[in-house]
Amino acid sequence: MNEMMFQKMLERMEGMFHTVQEEGHGAVALVFIIGMVFGSLIQYTKVHKFEKIAGFAMLKDTVVPKMLFLAIGLASIGLFFMIQMGWASYHVKPIMLGGLILGGAIFGASMAIFGKCPGTGPISVAEGRIDIMVGAIGGILGGAFFTIFYDYFHIFMGPDFGKISLSGYFEDTEGTVALIFGLILVAISIAIPLKEEIDKDDVGYQS
Amino acid sequence: MIKKMPWWLGGILMALLLLFTFSIFGADRPIGASTYVPYFAGIIFDLDPQKYTYLQKIEAPGAWEGVLLLGVLTGAFLNAIFVTKTFRFTIVPDAWKRYKNNSILSRLFWSFVGGFFLIIGARLAGGCTSGHFLSGMAQTAVSSIIFGAVVLVSLIVTGKRFYKGDANE
Repeated sequence: MNEMMFQKMLERMEGMFHTVQEEGHGAVALVFIIGMVFGSLIQYTKVHKFEKIAGFAMLKDTVVPKMLFLAIGLASIGLFFMIQMGWASYHVKPIMLGGLILGGAIFGASMAIFGKCPGTGPISVAEGRIDIMVGAIGGILGGAFFTIFYDYFHIFMGPDFGKISLSGYFEDTEGTVALIFGLILVAISIAIPLKEEIDKDDVGYQS
Repeated sequence: MIKKMPWWLGGILMALLLLFTFSIFGADRPIGASTYVPYFAGIIFDLDPQKYTYLQKIEAPGAWEGVLLLGVLTGAFLNAIFVTKTFRFTIVPDAWKRYKNNSILSRLFWSFVGGFFLIIGARLAGGCTSGHFLSGMAQTAVSSIIFGAVVLVSLIVTGKRFYKGDANE
């Protein structure tokens, strides 16, 4: 029985690689490398640490918002030019108002308590953080729960106001809008005073 | 060896990685990091996509993020061993001891609950810190700006209420 389940899991994992290979959003190896770089940048800046994320929730650490706003600001300016050049396209998520507000409120509260988000948690798991492993089990159960009861969750996710972006909304001046949006975010990231909550356990591990 | 990178360098490099991933020279799509969770839940619990339609919806992005996640895990583990040397088994984070309590049971309980609702919240909103905040706001997407604003308020209100102030200071 267990062996059969394991066999099935392996088959579906193989299916995962196959899907990515066929999908045309980068070769499997490229996506893997993007993941390695993504994780490394988070790990080197330590923004995955409980002290940084829960610290931000307590307003005792500001590295997360500083780095996040800088990255978004620069990327929004760069992305606009890339789209103009035909090197990239928009992939805007729809405004599902109920889902955004309800989901955002639940997500923010969970992030403050857990001290991780779905992208940073795996890094802490790989560093041996047992509390985050337990949280990951909770997350996988949450994912299964959402999948099984999707029809019920879906009721709360609307209404759908469509896929709107600020730069798309101001059509004639979209370049200016993207530039101003980006510069404001960069200015915010610089203006936020740098505060750091240190993990005392890390002392002696860094030098 | 890199042990710690300043926030501004991390921000610049993260913007470049995001742009590369968005570009047709990269993956021609945004970076997301929460769809992989229900995707893997489907694999682990052997949920049938024929029965649970949500799995059909997330087949393509879930697989992409699944491979991304394997990269993240592998990279982070190698870094933790060879570069940052931060690999060690711990249960209660340092700041949790400072601002909450010393109880292992309390931390594990809240981690489990937090992890569970983190994914419920992300999937209700259709994205997380990566998909909405980073990738979505970089496109000036209104949905992501709404999500970002709600998350910031909820995060800070919870942070103030859930943790105690500077007990030791």
